[in-house]
Amino acid sequence: MLLHLLNRAPSSSSVHQDVLRAMGEEDALMLIEDGVFGAVSAQVQHFPGLEGRLFALREDLESRGLAGRCDARVIIVDMDGFVALTEDAQRTVSWF
Amino acid sequence: MRYALLVLGGPYSDQAAHSALRFAHAAIARGHSVDTVFFYHDGVHNAAHLAAPPQDEPHLVDAWRDLQRMHGTALQVCVAAALRRGLLDAREAERHGKSGASLEPPFELTGLGQLLDISQTHERLITFAP
Repeated sequence: MLLHLLNRAPSSSSVHQDVLRAMGEEDALMLIEDGVFGAVSAQVQHFPGLEGRLFALREDLESRGLAGRCDARVIIVDMDGFVALTEDAQRTVSWF
Repeated sequence: MRYALLVLGGPYSDQAAHSALRFAHAAIARGHSVDTVFFYHDGVHNAAHLAAPPQDEPHLVDAWRDLQRMHGTALQVCVAAALRRGLLDAREAERHGKSGASLEPPFELTGLGQLLDISQTHERLITFAP
């Protein structure tokens, strides 16, 4: 299982499309920094079929005022949870 | 686990360095060791010895130094990326006829080959990009 890190909002970059094409069936996607804009309900349709495998970093949601607007399909994790995801993944791939 | 972080973003221009530092402390808090941070591309600016941010703002260069001092993390800087951007230790400054050094220990100039070595000797390598 690979963990993919994405730090771009789907509204400002199309790199999320490259991520989705590259992801394996077991892979997980972690939204960090401006990537967390993709976790709000109006944007999460950019990440279909990732239920249970789509994560967003709590502190980046909070620093952008989005903590209460995160879609229910996204699993919110703190920095500790982020580290835990990197433990579970054989490798981590950063997209930017 | 043995972690290494690759930092590609400069301080104060994007979030990469801040995210990497936060991750490093969280990893250490979970019982891992963050053995190495490698600075490459604009990330080499994190090693700027002369950085003097306002006192009421986070001092990222000092924060990296503290990470080395408290946890023994090696702070490695790609020499080719650093020299291009005016980041020279005393030895390189003398070699290039410059009047002063802008990079000092615990930051150390190393070759890009070191990054390949890191990827093979650490169990996890996490990239923080601009």
